Parts: sequence; structure tokens; C-alpha cells
Amino acid sequence: MELVVAAFFLGFFPFSMPFMLAFRRLPAPWGQAAALLIWPQVGLWALAQAPSLPDGFVAWGLASALLYGFRALTLRDLTLWIGFIALSSWGLFPLLIQHLNGPPPAMQLLGFTLPLVLLVFLGDELRQRFGAAFAGLPGGLAQPLPRLSALFAVTLLAVLATPLFPAFFTLLGALLGASASMPLFTLWALAIWLIWSWAGARLTQGFLIGPYLGCASADLSLARGWLYAAALIGLAGAGIAFAGGWL
Amino acid sequence: MTIDLGRKLGIRSMIYVAGEPVPFFWPMRAFIHHNPLHGLEHLPFEQAVRRGEDLFHARGFLKRRQYQDYLRQGRVDATALTAEISAFCRDLPEPHGLDWRELLLTLVTETPEPTTEFWRLASAADILDVLHGKPLADAPGQLETIQAELGGQLLGDRPVYEAVDGLYCTRIASDLDELVVNICLDFFDEGHSVWEMPERDGGLFRAWRSLTQRNRWPSRRNRRLKEILAISDEPEVIIAHAMERLKVPEQRWMGYFSRELSRLHGWAGFIRWRSQAKHYYWQRRYPADLVDLLAVRLTLTLALLAEAQRPDRACDAEALAELIEQAPEATYLRHERGQGRALPRLAQQLEETLARGDRARIQAFFRDYVRAKREAEALHIIRHGQRLAERLGRPDLLSALAPGELEQLLDGLRRFERHEGMIWLAAMEGRAIDDLLKGVRLEAEAARPKRPFVQALFCIDTRSERIRRRLEGIGDYQTYGIAGFFGVPISFMELGKGSEQHLCPVLLTPKNLVIEMSCEAPPDQTALTALEKAMHELKESVLTPFVTVEAIGLLFGLDMVGKTVAPRGYHRWRNRLHHHKPLSHLLLDKLTEHQADSIIRAAQRAIIVKAVELELGLSPEQITDDLVRALRETALGPKDAEHADLSEQLCEASRAVLNLPDKGAAFLKRLRRAYRINRDFAHRQIEQLSRIGFTLDEQANYVLQALKSIGLVRGFSRFVLLIGHGSASQNNPYESALDCGACGGAHGLTNARVLAQMANNPRVRKRLQGRGLVIADDSWFLPAFHNTTTDEISLHDLERLPPSHVIYLDRLRSGLIAAARLCAQERIPTLNGPAAAPNPASAALTAQRNALDWSQVRPEWGLSGNAYFIIARRQLTRGLNLEGRAFLHSYDYREDPKRRLLENILTGPLVVGQWINMEHYFSTVDNEAFGSGSKVYHNVAGNFGVMTGNQSDLRTGLPAQTVLKNGEPYHQPMRLITLIQAPFEHARKAIEAVTSVKYLVLNHWIRILVLDPESQRISLYEGDEWAHQISRGEVPSPENRSSPPPPGRGPGGGSTTEKNASP
Repeated sequence: MELVVAAFFLGFFPFSMPFMLAFRRLPAPWGQAAALLIWPQVGLWALAQAPSLPDGFVAWGLASALLYGFRALTLRDLTLWIGFIALSSWGLFPLLIQHLNGPPPAMQLLGFTLPLVLLVFLGDELRQRFGAAFAGLPGGLAQPLPRLSALFAVTLLAVLATPLFPAFFTLLGALLGASASMPLFTLWALAIWLIWSWAGARLTQGFLIGPYLGCASADLSLARGWLYAAALIGLAGAGIAFAGGWL
Repeated sequence: MTIDLGRKLGIRSMIYVAGEPVPFFWPMRAFIHHNPLHGLEHLPFEQAVRRGEDLFHARGFLKRRQYQDYLRQGRVDATALTAEISAFCRDLPEPHGLDWRELLLTLVTETPEPTTEFWRLASAADILDVLHGKPLADAPGQLETIQAELGGQLLGDRPVYEAVDGLYCTRIASDLDELVVNICLDFFDEGHSVWEMPERDGGLFRAWRSLTQRNRWPSRRNRRLKEILAISDEPEVIIAHAMERLKVPEQRWMGYFSRELSRLHGWAGFIRWRSQAKHYYWQRRYPADLVDLLAVRLTLTLALLAEAQRPDRACDAEALAELIEQAPEATYLRHERGQGRALPRLAQQLEETLARGDRARIQAFFRDYVRAKREAEALHIIRHGQRLAERLGRPDLLSALAPGELEQLLDGLRRFERHEGMIWLAAMEGRAIDDLLKGVRLEAEAARPKRPFVQALFCIDTRSERIRRRLEGIGDYQTYGIAGFFGVPISFMELGKGSEQHLCPVLLTPKNLVIEMSCEAPPDQTALTALEKAMHELKESVLTPFVTVEAIGLLFGLDMVGKTVAPRGYHRWRNRLHHHKPLSHLLLDKLTEHQADSIIRAAQRAIIVKAVELELGLSPEQITDDLVRALRETALGPKDAEHADLSEQLCEASRAVLNLPDKGAAFLKRLRRAYRINRDFAHRQIEQLSRIGFTLDEQANYVLQALKSIGLVRGFSRFVLLIGHGSASQNNPYESALDCGACGGAHGLTNARVLAQMANNPRVRKRLQGRGLVIADDSWFLPAFHNTTTDEISLHDLERLPPSHVIYLDRLRSGLIAAARLCAQERIPTLNGPAAAPNPASAALTAQRNALDWSQVRPEWGLSGNAYFIIARRQLTRGLNLEGRAFLHSYDYREDPKRRLLENILTGPLVVGQWINMEHYFSTVDNEAFGSGSKVYHNVAGNFGVMTGNQSDLRTGLPAQTVLKNGEPYHQPMRLITLIQAPFEHARKAIEAVTSVKYLVLNHWIRILVLDPESQRISLYEGDEWAHQISRGEVPSPENRSSPPPPGRGPGGGSTTEKNASP
């Protein structure tokens, strides 16, 4: 029973559909942010209650993660992209939870979802300016909106679990721990991680690179820019702290 | 498959004509500034720009925001702007008492973005509905309009794969370009690659075909390519086959080919140039033309389209037409998505609807989408319109208009915004003309009490303006402007080089060859030179990165650190290690038959000596004159001549080496074949040698023409400096662009030396005396070199200077140094900021550093900023600070009663100036499409061009660092403003006589003014007629022009509308 609840709330295929339906319809950015923060925590709690995690369950999670990762490659709508990457990252948790050390799993899950929440807010900035956050409409934001573009790029790096952000250390630690006992699953998880990078690169290309063909638009204000930057710095700080402390 | 000869020729000529709009691309070793729209100069300027925008997907004018910046800086004449707008509004209907002039003026000066740029679907009724909060009504005929627009965009001249990419988000176009670039890089390599493409001598298409047919990679694409290439080995046949497979109607082929060629217009321009450059060594060895290129492109197109083919995809012209007819809704939606124009808030839904493929859903979504799009466009226009109305002080303007009036307003706005660029341009040019006319000096030159200390002839290059002004300011210097090749087109063979270089404008073909010969003994090859050679060869080896980096990488590191940290000191040290170019003489006089024969004999002897040394291993002491003579005569004699005695002589020379009787025969064979010591080649050499030098008459003619063209016919100074120019920079593929365009992109020093040598020749002077030009006996023509990067002027051929002049050298050198430093002080702040030039000496040092710094992407501004071409006596502009923006050609109409000299100036220098001006113009307005982008990303391709990144089209035009500063234009893009100081009829007739310039004027590619020194009247060619004014400061405005004359009138048409001039 716990496993079923976990599968539902962690969005294992085909249980991703209710989440995605809800996610698309929830008001941006606060509704979507809340969904990202709360939904998987329920799944994680259920996972923690399960007496054991069969290999088949772990494989189901990884297969879903792979599917959603691949799906994200072709998406240009930022909301959908965030949703699918979120699902892809949650699908790894049955594997990761068995080899986590350091902070509690709930906090480590936040390391994955908080950057996505930030991205939701940045997506809302794009929506206010252009009507939607859709890659290529318009593209080439790097020159006309440098502040927003820079924050977008760094947030994306946090989403893709690059250092110094906490998700990187979670994945690294857990996969190193799993490599001896579950080598195939470890490789599988690594492949999924690589696919996220690919999806991230495509998204960056669609939003930031190329000629800008839109109307004039105002960049993020300095104050808002610093707010987002502070959040990212905080995340990076948390990553360092989790990795081995400040010293 | 075969086609008859007539059809092949038809295809060839079609491609030839289709390639006309693609400008030539000369190898960058001799960079030639050219007008990127040269192929469209038969059209009026505005029309040509529109066509260029369409062909090259580029922008032909700056953005409005940039023009507004110019207005704020005072570089646009506000009065002229208003006048241009008034002229535009003349025929516009005025809705609801609207003042068009006020509205449009407010629009251009106070709104940064165009209003109608994204307007496609919404009607005036839609805008009013949205304004009044009403739901949009259905628009009858909307589908048919959309179908017509789709037909125009997807069919027509557009390549099929572009339409396919636009509909199905494939990447056929970029894949195709990438493949073609790779093929071009392989084929056109000029000795850069270690592994060369095989069979290149068969031509581009055949070489590629042969390679492709041998490609064993088992891919579908390769199979498909082989099937297509099996049809024929003739490119015309393949082209015909491909166009038939693409189902493009034959009447559209020419336009289709133009679009194909303009996709990679850099490579196409290079191939186009190469195919007509019969003297070009690499073209003679490995021929290629546009027919080959198109055949390759179309073959790859078919293969890539076959790869992308799906059952529901239209992949040929007929299928596309059918798709538009039968499924316009889906086609429109796909097109919106592919073009990146989809409404963002419906973009995801659009994708999902198309993915589902359900026709009913698509049609329903189409209706909603179009309605939403109309609404979005209406909102956009309303927002802009209301902002404009508020600025006009009429916030209710839009809502007060009836639908018909709103339609008129929008139509007028749309027409205006299409024409806006020309209006800004004319206003900007108006200010520039005004500034020029206010500064020129109309008073006659005062009589000089004595001849000047120095008369200096500079190139007309804009960079000469500053140094001329400085030189005139510091002493009794008189300067003149003349084309950089000094009117002497030469083919030059430099000392130590085996090939000729044309030192003249590319429009000319030189007939005379000048050879540089050393006065010194040949140097021993130093150890350093040998080491350099070895290093260079290592750099080109494929294995080097794997083997030698650890071993000798540190050496390169030292070089890198030295060049970066202390470029001046490091280069000074390096130069000490290198062997300097020896003193040399130029062979200018025609050779007599006897002399030519002697030269050939001497050359043959030298070759034979070397051959005997290398092949037979004899030492120089063993090689006697008799042996050499015998070898030479035998080699030049009949092939079956007895040479037993020769073998005897050879054997005698070295018994150990020449034991075998056949050795002599084999060596003779090699002498004849490999070393070309044979009668036929000797005859060819005699013919070549006849090209060397100039006859006495020719020399006198060139000197006379040069001096008369600039009006220097009396009062010669002790020193007449002929100052050629060139630049100096490191690590700069565009170095040649900073050199003298009149000398084919090379330094102008050689031409200066040539004319100086001619003018100093006593026999030439005697001939000139006979023609009425008397040069004082103590006048010495001295060649010099102006380094435009450092502004230093160095004197040359001083060993020929008469002793009487040596005592004045010190004063001369001091003057030149002072002028150079002052010039650097003026120039360096524009490059390195004001702090870099606190005094002339440090400015000069900064300039020197710029020339030696390999990381410097902008060693100088070059010709950036060019705006004027002034054909006049120096008195007109003396002392006027033209900020290095003017080509100054000296001209005295009094010495040119038959207008020949003026016609020569118009034919040559003015046309070259126009090319330079247009290159800068287009590189500024759209640096990505017409220019070459940032230098930072450039990679040299095949020794003749640059690409952006590791693979791209050959970048034509100028880099961003040459025309932009911090992303904004540094060069002010305007058409060349040409001022001729001569009686009006004199100038008008000269223009009329030079057809190319006449059409440049008629089609408004240049702005032309005539300043009549006798009546002090200024005439400006504006619209389609001359407008005259009596006094300065009254540039004729469009409002004051008479109505356009009947067709057929031109600059010679005699329409001389007298304007009412204010006093």
C-alpha cells in the first residue's frame, strides 16, 4: 500500500498524469510552487514507511525517470518542462533513499524541488512579458534581458544538479554508495542525469541563444534580480554545507 | 539521363544570371572592399536595399532607436527630417483632420519601436472592436488571404527545403549548408591541409561525386546520393534532374537558383570570383564554378528531403501547393510554428493540436487561433497608437476615427515605416552635407612668396586627412591627394617571391611587370630561419599535437608571454634575430632584346649550377663555366643531338659519381623537363620579360598624368614626397583590409617607388619638358611609407638621394615625426579612450603597441567613419577638421580642359570609394548578415577567408570591431557624399561621360554636389534633378524641390531648377 502511495505521489508512470494535469492548471507561480514542494514529500513519506523497496519498484521508478527525462528533451513549454523534470528527479528516489547520508531525505528532496520552484517564478517573469514561457517565442533573450537570462541559466544549472547545488551532492553521494551493490541501477541513474543536461542545453538554446525577434521588454529590476540571486546563493551554500560543512 | 547541349547551355546561362546579385569574394590575402549589393546597382538604391534584405535575410537600415540616438547627438538634421517627412505626406489622405507631418514626426522621434512591424491579420474594424471592448467579428475571406500569403511565402523562389523546414521543424537547410561548407573547405583548400581531397583537377562536382560514390558508410543518405549521382557525371544534367524531382516549374528556376546561391553567399561569391579569375593559380589547377556548386547543393537537397520524407509531409513544390490548397488551416498553423511567430500563450496548444492530426480539431483551433492573433495584433497596435496619441496631445485620436479613416491611418503608417529608413538616411546626409559646406573655404589661394619646403602626395584614403592637416599645420608643407597607386598600375614581383601581385585597383589589369632586385649578396640561411621553417612545418603536421606539445610547447609559451606582456620590447628583440630585407632596386625600364637574352642566359646558368649541385653532387668548384655552357646549349638544342662529349665533360668532373653512361642523358632529360631549360620555355620567358618595365614614353605619360590630375604642374619643391600607405598589425586576418585598396589590398610603397624613380629619371624629365611640364632640376621625388596604424612616415630609397638634399633630411624627418605624433594624439582617444593620449609622445607609443599587440582586435579604425569624397584643390578644405572621414583627391579643373582627368578620377578612385563606403554602410546596419560578425569567433579557412566558429559560410564584409563600438555603430552609415570643385557644366559632362558613375548618381547610390568656383554656386543632385543654390548653408530641401521631371531626365538631363535662395 505504501508503495502504491509512493508511486502515485512520486509520479511513476502512469501516475504522472494527475500531477501534470493539476500542475498545468494550478495558478502560476504560487500554486505550481506549492505543488512542487508538497506533492513529492507525500510520496517520500510513503516511501520511508515501506518495509522494503523491491528491485522491481526501483526499476519502475528509474524507467519512469528515464521516460520523463526523454520527454523533456522535446518540450518547449517551460511549465511542462519543469513538471517532467520534477517527475524524472522523483523517480530516482527509490534508488537514492537507500544510500543517502547526511541531511534527512525530505531536505535532500528539497534540493531537487527548490530550484524547480525558482524556475517557476522565472517562468512567470517570462509569462508577464511575452504571454507564455515557450522556448523560441521569442528566443535570444541573452542580449535584451541579460539579468533575467543570467538567472535563468544559473537556475537551470541548479535544476540539472550541477555543483555547488545540493542536488549534485545528493546524487553523487547516493550513486557512489549504490555503485557497489546496484551497479546497473547506478548506470541507469547516471544516464538519466546526462539526459537532464541534454534537455537543459536544448532549453537554454531555445530561450537564450540566437537573434531576438520580439518587442522591447524590460529586464528584471535590480532588486528582484538580487532576490533571485540570494535564493541561488542560499541554495549553493546549502549544497556546500551538506557536502561537508563550511570548513 | 542526358540532356542536349542547348539545354545545358541554357541552364548554365540561367545560373550565371542568377548569381549576379551575389557579390564577388576576393581572397582575404588581398582584401577588396566591395559593395555587397553590387549586383543590384542597376536598381535605385532603395529598391536594391529591399531586394538585398529579401535575398540575404538582412536589414538595410539601422533600427529607429539608433537613428534617434543620432538625432540626439545632432548628427541628423531635424529640419531636413521634417522636410523629408513633409515630402512623404504630400500625397497621403488626411483622416479626420489629422496632421500627418506632426504625427509621423512624433512617431519617428519619440517612439523607439515600429508600430506596424508585426501587423499581418488584424483589420481596422478589428482594432476598433478591441478598442471598444467588443468581440471580434468573423473576417470573410480571411482563409483565402491566408492561402495567398502562404503561397507567396512557401512557393515562389523559396527553396523547397526551406518551406519544409518552416512547416515540419526539420533542419534540412542547416544540415545542407553544413555539408556544403565541409565540401567547399575540402575542395578549395590552398595547400593548408596535409591530406588533400583527391581528383580535384576534375572540378568541384566531379571530385565530390567521385568521393561520394566511394563512400562505404551504410546509411540511407549515402545510398540515396549514389542513386542520384549514378544518373550522370555532368552537373547540368543533375541540376535538371533535381529541379524536375522537386517539381519546380522552369519559369521559377532562375529565382530559385538566386535564393540557393544567396544562402551561402560567401562561398558562392568566392566561387563566382574564382571562376572568372583566369590567372588564379588554384582555379587553373582545381576549377570550380557556380554550376558545380548548385549541382552539389541540389543533389544533397534531394537526399536530405528523402530522409525527411514522411507519408504526411509535402516535400516538393507541387505537394506544397496542394497542401496549401487542401489543408490551409494546418499549413498556416505549421508555418506559424516553424517561423517562430506563434502566439506564445497558444503555442503549446498549437503543438498538441498539430500532433493529434485531427482535421476537425485543427480547423476549430485555427479559427480560435486566428481570432486570438487578430486580437493580439490589434492590442499591439492600439498600445502603440495610444502612446503616440498621448504624445500628440490627442488621447482620443484612435477612438474618434471611423473605420475607413483608421484604415487610411494604418495604411499610411505602414507605408511610412517601410520608407522610414530612407527618410532618416536623407536627413543624416543633409546634416553631413551642411557641415561640409559650412566648413569649406571658398576664397582663392593666396600667391606663395616661395615654393614650399615639401610637397607631399598622399593617397586619397580617409586616414591621410588627419596627417595631412597636421603636416600642413607644423610647417611649410603642401599636400595633395592622389589614388594610392599613383596612377601607375603595375604587376609586381617582389624580391624572393615567385608570383606576381597586381598593385592597382581590381577594376584594372596591369600590363607592365616590375621586378625587385637585390643590391646585396644573397644571405646564408641562418640557423634561426631554418628553425623557423622546421617549427612552421611542425605546426602543420597532424601528429604534432600528440607528440611534441610536452617537448617544445614551452618554447611557444615563451613566445606567447613575450608577445602578450611586452609586445614592443619583445618584437624589437625578435626583429634583431631576423634577416632584414636587403636594399633593392626596381627594374623599371624596358629591356632590350640583348638585355632580355642576357637575363635568360644568366637565369638558366644559375638554375643549371643549382641542378648540378643538387642532382649530381658536384661542388661549386667542380662546376666550370664550360660545363655549364655545354649543358645549356645541349639542353636548348634539338633533342637527339649527340652529347657524348658532354658525358665526357661530366665524367671528367666527377668520375666516382658519373660512372654510368646513361647518367648524362637522364640528367639532360631532367634539365629540359623539370628545370625547364628548353627552347619553348625560353621563348615564353622572352615574352614574359617583354612585359617588364615601361618605355620612356609610358613613364613620361604616367608622371604627367599623375601630376596634372592633382594640379601640380609648377612650383615644384626640393622634396616631392610620394607617400604610399599600409598598416601593421598582428594576428589579424583582416590586415589587408587596412592596407591600400587602390593597390589591390597591398602596401602603396612600391607604387610610390615606381613613380618616384620615373619622375627622377632625367630622360623622363626631358620628355616632360617637351610636353610643357618643367620640373625643377633640384626637385627630388622621394618615396615614403605612411603606417596608418602608428602614423609613422618612413622615407625610402634614400641611397639615391642627391647629396645636396641630405642636409635637409633632418628637418624633414623632424616634421614627419611631429606630424605623426600629433596625428596619433588626435586618433588614439577614439581607440583606447582619452586617458591613453595625454601627450603626443605617449599617444605614439600607444599606437605602436596597438600595431604589435596580437590580442588587439582593433589596431586602428581603418576607413570607418568615411563619409565624403572631395575632388577639389586643397585650398577648399585646408585647415578644415574632417575627422579622418574624407577621401581627398586633389584636382584642378584649370589643368583639365577636356575633362579627361576628372573622368579618370570618377572612373577609378570614386568607384573604389563608393565600394568602400557601401561595404562600411552595410556592415554597420547589419553586421551579422552583411558584415562578418565578431573577430573573436573567427577562424581562418583555407588561407583565403574566415568563418565564424569551426564551420560557417565565408564571412564577407567587415568585422564588428571595425564598424561598431560596444555594440553600437561607430561608423555612421551614409551614402558617399561627393563634392566636385569645378564649373557645373564641366562636372556634369564628366559625370555623363562615365556610364558607371552616371548610373550611381541616377540610382542614388551616391550623393553628388558640384561647387562652381567661378560662380560660388553649389548644385546638389536630389530626387531626379539638380537643385542649385546661390549661397552656402541652404541645402536644398525636398519641400522646395519642383515636382519630378518627366522620365529620361538624369544628371545630364539639363534640368537645372533654380531654387528661390535666401540671401
